[in-house]
Amino acid sequence: MNDPQPVQNSLKPGRWIRSTCKMCLHSCGTLIHVTDDGVINKIEGDPANPSNNGRLCPKGNAAIMRHYDPNRFKQPMKRTNPKKGPGEDPMWEPISWDEALEITAREIKKSLGEDPRKILPSLEDFQKFNIWVWPLAFGNFNCFQSGGTMCGGAYHPANGYIHSSFAAANDAKHCNYWINNGTGDGFSSHLHAAAQSNWVANARVERGMRCVTVEPRLSTSAAKSEEWIPIRPATDRQFALGLCHVMVNENLVDYRFLRKDTNAPYLVGADGYFVRNAEDKVYVWDSVENRAKPWDDPTIQKLALEGAFEVAGKECKPAFQRFKDVLDECSPEEMEKITTVPAETTRRIAREFFKAAEIGATIEIDGRTMPLRPAAYNYYRGAQGRKLGFQTNHAFKLVNFLVGNIDAPGGHIGVTLDDQWVDKSHVAPGEDGMLLPTPHQLGPVPGFSWPPNTFHLMDYFPVGVHPPHLNLLVFQNPEKYGVNFKPDVMVICHSNPLWALQGPREEWFKFMASMRFIVVSDIIPTETTMWADVILPAHDALETWNMTMIEPPHTEGMCMRQPATEPLYDTRTEEDIFYGLSERLGILEAYNGVLNMAQGLDHKPELMLEPDKKYTDKEMADRKGRLWNDKGIDWYIDNCAVTERRPDKWYRPWEGMRLHFYVEDMLHQRDQLKKQMEEHNVPFRDEWHWDDYSPLPTKRLDPVHEEPEEYNLYGMFFKDIQLNFGESIGNPWINDIVYRDPVHIALMLNPKTAAAEGLEAGDIVRVESPYGKIYGRIGTAEGWHPDALGVSNSLSRMKVKHDGVPHAGGHFNDMLPYDLHNTDAVTGQPETVCRVKIIKLDDWPEGLKQGLTVYDLVDDIEKPGKGRSH
Amino acid sequence: MTIQDSKIVGDNFQVGVRFQRYWDTSMANAFFCGELGAGIFFVSFLFDFVTGMVAGLLITGIFKSYFHITHMGVPMQSWRAILRPDRSWISRGLMAITCYLGLGAVHCLILAFDLETAWGLGTAVGNLVQLLAACAALVVMTYQGLAMSHSTAISLWNTALMPVSSMTYALTGGTVLTLLLGWNKVFAVMPQGQESLVSKILLLLLIDAIVLASVVYSAKNRSRGGKVSALLLLTGAYRQVFLSLVIGAGLILPMMLLWFVPGNLIAVLLAAAGILIGHYSYRVLVFKAGVYEPMTSFR
Amino acid sequence: MARYGMVFDLKRCIGCNACVIGCKQENSLPDGMFFTRTLSEEYGVYPAVKRVYIPTLCNHCEDAPCEKVCPSGATHTRDDGIVMVDADKCIGCSSCAVACPYDQRSQVDKDLLSHGLFGTSELTPFEKDGYKRFVPGTITKCDFCSERVDAGLDPACVVTCPTEARIFGDLDDPDSKASTLIRERNGKPPMPELKTRPKVYYID
Repeated sequence: MNDPQPVQNSLKPGRWIRSTCKMCLHSCGTLIHVTDDGVINKIEGDPANPSNNGRLCPKGNAAIMRHYDPNRFKQPMKRTNPKKGPGEDPMWEPISWDEALEITAREIKKSLGEDPRKILPSLEDFQKFNIWVWPLAFGNFNCFQSGGTMCGGAYHPANGYIHSSFAAANDAKHCNYWINNGTGDGFSSHLHAAAQSNWVANARVERGMRCVTVEPRLSTSAAKSEEWIPIRPATDRQFALGLCHVMVNENLVDYRFLRKDTNAPYLVGADGYFVRNAEDKVYVWDSVENRAKPWDDPTIQKLALEGAFEVAGKECKPAFQRFKDVLDECSPEEMEKITTVPAETTRRIAREFFKAAEIGATIEIDGRTMPLRPAAYNYYRGAQGRKLGFQTNHAFKLVNFLVGNIDAPGGHIGVTLDDQWVDKSHVAPGEDGMLLPTPHQLGPVPGFSWPPNTFHLMDYFPVGVHPPHLNLLVFQNPEKYGVNFKPDVMVICHSNPLWALQGPREEWFKFMASMRFIVVSDIIPTETTMWADVILPAHDALETWNMTMIEPPHTEGMCMRQPATEPLYDTRTEEDIFYGLSERLGILEAYNGVLNMAQGLDHKPELMLEPDKKYTDKEMADRKGRLWNDKGIDWYIDNCAVTERRPDKWYRPWEGMRLHFYVEDMLHQRDQLKKQMEEHNVPFRDEWHWDDYSPLPTKRLDPVHEEPEEYNLYGMFFKDIQLNFGESIGNPWINDIVYRDPVHIALMLNPKTAAAEGLEAGDIVRVESPYGKIYGRIGTAEGWHPDALGVSNSLSRMKVKHDGVPHAGGHFNDMLPYDLHNTDAVTGQPETVCRVKIIKLDDWPEGLKQGLTVYDLVDDIEKPGKGRSH
Repeated sequence: MTIQDSKIVGDNFQVGVRFQRYWDTSMANAFFCGELGAGIFFVSFLFDFVTGMVAGLLITGIFKSYFHITHMGVPMQSWRAILRPDRSWISRGLMAITCYLGLGAVHCLILAFDLETAWGLGTAVGNLVQLLAACAALVVMTYQGLAMSHSTAISLWNTALMPVSSMTYALTGGTVLTLLLGWNKVFAVMPQGQESLVSKILLLLLIDAIVLASVVYSAKNRSRGGKVSALLLLTGAYRQVFLSLVIGAGLILPMMLLWFVPGNLIAVLLAAAGILIGHYSYRVLVFKAGVYEPMTSFR
Repeated sequence: MARYGMVFDLKRCIGCNACVIGCKQENSLPDGMFFTRTLSEEYGVYPAVKRVYIPTLCNHCEDAPCEKVCPSGATHTRDDGIVMVDADKCIGCSSCAVACPYDQRSQVDKDLLSHGLFGTSELTPFEKDGYKRFVPGTITKCDFCSERVDAGLDPACVVTCPTEARIFGDLDDPDSKASTLIRERNGKPPMPELKTRPKVYYID
């Protein structure tokens, strides 16, 4: 080459700027290279950020293609085709920002003036909670985003009860025995995937950490683990209870931890409530003096964990004994019938797990001596996205409780979402010496109301995250659920509910069609934007300011995002858009009030927003930065504000409080809701699954196991690191790797199962659940549980006017239920596995024959003798 | 083992067998024309048959060059192919082609216009020219096979039989076309030549068949990739073309025709057509069925 | 003079293909073109099934078959062992591509350069800037990010790898991390039977 100019992008003349990734909701540090001509041509991880440590996952590496996507919205637009529906061209007409905001405000106002509940928000920019909380400015608790169900409807409240945190992670820094159940943590997904996989790889290679993965499929985690334990879908709770059975019956338990740091010794009466004295103090049993004492009695010598006692005329047992009773019917042999995991395997894993936990070992960190428990059980969506979601989460937590590893070095640790300021502790003392449970990690929830104030019945889930799938249920049965309003204006920002929500798309289309007005703020066309009346195009993440931190497993701090280039198009920041709307709607003061509270700005009064002012994204970012460490935005431009988690906040921050081994609050919540429903004669109160509220998990089967026999397989959905969260398919670089990976290009079956079904790889099929159907092509691989049909997220998109997104034969979520029967009555978490049957077809149905599907793309890549490398 | 056992992975990110997709039809055309042209030239040369030699030179000079240039990613830079004769069979081949075309043309001119006498050239010069031209033609007939056999990546090609098959196919095609071009002309004066050519073609066809069988057989037993190539030809996607055109039309049909009706022009014409079809199909299929060995397994 | 090579730690690699996209963005590779790929291989019968992820790229062989067959001299080996293709000299005959046992070479397709990653005739600014490096019709491949190496940086795929499964270094320096790993964990080159003497090693 005669040209002296470098050809490699990172070396071309230009500048590097520090920023934060937004290809998923987490917040890895980035360095962005901008050429002298203003082209963003390389994004790398920021080596100064101890979370991702200079590294990025495939999605983070693909951010440039989102920025330069030619399909991006380039100016505000309004719909001119009044007909809405899949395949209907909206016939967008470009309009000015003034007109767009004017129309939008006018239409919102029309409904807002009648009844604020007629607004249905779907605001899901997870790095901008300042937008997320906007509806609170007019007291609206409706919710049309998928965050709760597809993420952790039960997971987050459960972590709130156990750790007072949003999420949880195994401590890769000290762990030596790592169980992954239905999660890719440390390998392919969940919290800061690039960061955690680095920690875990180091632990595996340098420390010889042993990994065991329990999952129906040979996932990345399973492939990299020393042991893969295939399990029938939706039976993970029963597996965990089998482990607990072995541990409790073989005394593989950290009794000292249970006595000292948990409520396991608290005495529980026959009604499930703790037994309290006249001063409302919970009793425990002193087995030395053989009598009951209040929990804080200084004379207690040894707390009983087992036995049956009588206190104040009431029969009672320690909470631990109650759990032991539950476990009586959870022997590994019994559980094997449900999970298919051989009883011997369960016994062996329980023993290995206990042995690795080194009960009794301690470690000194920062002058503080703590238990070292280098064995931990982690889990996520795949394992806990159940109808009995809370119980399922709780069961996994209890495996960890038994070895005393909760928040211990090497153990299973609560992970905060966004600490807000550096000295803020996420824990606080509650009643009777126990930790204060904080199930509402995502902000305030509406109280009870009849008739309901929300269209998705959030009024009746005192513990949960929003169950947005119930919007459809209520839409179809408004009288039954007593709604005296009907949302008719949708406000959507950075959210694609028509991709994410469960239940058949055709039914959701009717819901969408019932809206009088839909406004969408987004950056590219999606399944949902096709329904919009007005598009308010937003800047993308490479054009905006932000300050956030999203559930990092090992780090804390603030991640600053700054614009790498001027906006490419006539777009605006989400802040501009929502402040613009707020001003026009006359809710500016209320919005700023909500922000002061939700962003924690009221903690430092000098940072509080003035009632009548509009703030830019940079000003909001600056305030969040100052809230964290009193440094302004300029400091963040030059410095990385992320550090490893402070051990005092990270390890056992609740020292001196007792953890909720037994979640008595379930009964309080149940009985209070019951009472309120009775008082108000709520007509569907008898349908409410009161059994779901349980202070301890049970072995009860989730209803998915009770579907008609003809649905002989379990349909399950999965993602890998290239497909985590949104911003994936349609990005040409992501397409490049996803559609070359054999697990993402077919409906996967174990070959023996396929043979039994009379199917071969390549067969075109229709898959039906009791609730919906999809089409697809069969693939086979040995790494599948014989009862499972696996459907990758890569096969979930629908055709929209956006060339880069290849559609498949329908969306797995079409096959999922959206009823109360399959919804956790505690948290609103819906079932995410469905029973299916497979019907072989001779050819694709109409609509899938036109050569634009994922399968056509795959065929093109696979064609012998060809290949796009040439 | 079947083809399924050695998974063909297209451009997927899996360990398995990948097709070579860089040398395609235009390269097959070029190789075919190169071999055929040089073959005609060489056989005609043995008979001092100028028409045949000219035909051979034209086929090579025009068609082989054309197809090579259309194959080339940067046609304007094609001349650079000559730069590394020390290591590259492409470079050596290109030199041989140049030599063959140049000296072959000179040799034809010498013969056609009896220049040795006219210009008073000594026989030494003429002899040297013809010797070099013939040698160059032999190189052109074989170097393509040598270039292929040097690819350790592709078992079907990576065999000393590749240049041999180039040579035998070139001779077969060259002989039958020389026979046709000289039918009742050059060979009218030496009918025993005509007969002996027919029997030589039969012999060459027999050799072709043996070489072909050896190529496929040795590939099949050499490696996973080789086996896939062989099975692709024998039982897989290319079975029909291989059996009907390469074997049927290219070997069996001409053998039958030349055996049973050796002196019949129509029969020879048909045989020639079959031979050319067979040779061309072989060239195309050898490229199409060429696969890389699968990546080392780390099981 | 150093002799650069790479070690792939198969225990670390999670098959995420961040390297593949990191390479694509560093080197402005068009649609469907790769300088590195991470292959997967599944084996065994349920439930005793395993999958291994195997990163691949140009092995920068000491005895490079691609270099031997190159008729134009475009393919050459630098003093530090990096095998390069000089696009100004390459004629696009593809001899090297069929000679490389690892299928690690790609031809720069004119259509892909004009079509763009989004399949439209309009190239993104990223592509307009990046595609300038390519000469249509020539053969190209991984050069260990030679410009980064010259600037004292690791290749792009190495720096982005979330699990540090790619270790780049001087194989002549017995104390380099790469040499140490090859020695201590018995590094194996790919397809050694072909005697190409790769400078890439796998450890598991």
